[in-house]
Amino acid sequence: MTAPVTRTAHQVSSRALAWLHAHREYGALPADTTIDLGDPDSVYKPLGETALAASLVLRESAAGSVELRLAGDLMDFCWRQFGEGDMLYERLLRYSMMTDPLETYVPFARCGFRHDPLERLLAHTSALRSVRAVEAVPNRGLAVANAARVVGLDQGGRGYDWPTLTRATWLGATPEPWLVDWMTGYCATHTVFHLTDWGGDPTGLPDDIAAYVTTWLPVWIDIWAEIEQWDLVAELMIVGCCLKEPYCAPADWERLARIQHPDGLVPRDGDPVPDDPDQRFKDHQHTAVVATIAGTLAVSRTLGGAADPR
Amino acid sequence: MSPDRSQTVYAASAADLALRALDVLRGVEGTAFVAEHVECADDPKAALAAIRYVGADIFAPHLLADAALSPEDAAAVAQSFAVFPPPVRTPEPPPAGAAEPWIAAWRDWATAALLARLAGTEGDGLPAPQPVGAPVLTDHADDAAPGADSDGPETRASAVSTPDTGWQHWSVRMGQLSPLALPALDGPVHAAARAAPLALARGATRAMLRRDFPTAARITRWLALLHAEGVRLPLDPLPLVEHLRLHGGGPRLALDVAIARRLLGPEAP
Repeated sequence: MTAPVTRTAHQVSSRALAWLHAHREYGALPADTTIDLGDPDSVYKPLGETALAASLVLRESAAGSVELRLAGDLMDFCWRQFGEGDMLYERLLRYSMMTDPLETYVPFARCGFRHDPLERLLAHTSALRSVRAVEAVPNRGLAVANAARVVGLDQGGRGYDWPTLTRATWLGATPEPWLVDWMTGYCATHTVFHLTDWGGDPTGLPDDIAAYVTTWLPVWIDIWAEIEQWDLVAELMIVGCCLKEPYCAPADWERLARIQHPDGLVPRDGDPVPDDPDQRFKDHQHTAVVATIAGTLAVSRTLGGAADPR
Repeated sequence: MSPDRSQTVYAASAADLALRALDVLRGVEGTAFVAEHVECADDPKAALAAIRYVGADIFAPHLLADAALSPEDAAAVAQSFAVFPPPVRTPEPPPAGAAEPWIAAWRDWATAALLARLAGTEGDGLPAPQPVGAPVLTDHADDAAPGADSDGPETRASAVSTPDTGWQHWSVRMGQLSPLALPALDGPVHAAARAAPLALARGATRAMLRRDFPTAARITRWLALLHAEGVRLPLDPLPLVEHLRLHGGGPRLALDVAIARRLLGPEAP
């Protein structure tokens, strides 16, 4: 019975990945970009998210040779966009308190694209009490801790207090599930992503939180699918793949496949999709990233892959 | 009388009766509230129909608040069965038969069974026969305790259910049968509830998130009953019931919430 999920998830993720690849130039940094980034969320952050999706395709190695080649191409493309790491290095030199150079570097470090000066700077910066004490919402704290873990910055007495970080999140409180809202839904998904390193280590999710998520995930997927919030639905489907006992419902995958456009675009919600190619990419790039990750992990998990337990 | 006008009259009459039951449940006023509801009505036929609409919940004050059933009230409920007799043969359960008449038959049976029990006329036969069956739930595999061992990803991935028999639809249907969620009744519908606390909790949560408070309150009735029976639930029903009490509106919902609070006992806020 896993075969239909595996097949459908592979179809969704391979098409979404191909769409990201085909339209990658729409996500290139403008020529006049400086490290100051007036609007980091416009191009810089999405590039990092594309790299994240590609890095997970490569990590799982559950896709076909075409997908692995496209993912490798996208990694090269994004790495070049970031000046092969120079831009991240210069940004961290200028803004020591910002965590995005580290977080953006993670997918590259995961795939062997290393930048030694950046790593030396990160080793210094990330250990500073000042940087560690930066105020952020709790799931962001987990994002930094996971990034440091992947890059290897948490060694030698520089470990992060995972239990305290975890219990500070909304999900860590195992709250009343009937009060979750859209923004909190995203917070909950990211808590799971960072605790499990994007499904790479499902044991990173404490048992009580895993049981809580297993209990309520079908409800949250149901209600956000009803109002066509496809981006959040696909994020929740990633969450299902991050559980020790993965939750990959065939109906959820069939629905995501149904709403995917023939060219691979996955609409972020039920609103009409614009014709302008630039706007199409800007509006729906994130959902393609999410669908690529969800499908990649679903294929891997339904085939029995549990990634490398730490 | 146009159908619309008729609907409005029936709905208003049912609201009136629900409010009367609510008052008695809260200890506000005394006896013969069902008979009074009929006597005070401009349209006695609508008032008798309302008895069947509110159904077994009329007896919540007697079951949960020690109110005594007056002979006048027993006569009013019996008159409702005489004026609107239920079908002699109970309808087939879905999917073979249509859902609505079958649900109505279960609700009539609950009303008749409690009337007989509280009036001491059980030997006379019920004016409404007991239907067979219970709402069918196919994704029962999920109702194992959360975190319990299963056979791996295949098991969860293969929980196939049709739109009619998944926890979403099933829980709504259980909500339509909420007048059965009273301590003195038992049967296949109760067995179905006991077998699926997770599906009920998911259904209540889904209804809350959809802001469908009446449905949430009806499903929560079952959770409250299971809690009273000592069944372990996936969520704490107390804040859920209190949230519904403060956010929901209308006499029908207020009665459901009041019954749920009574079932939860002195812990309820």
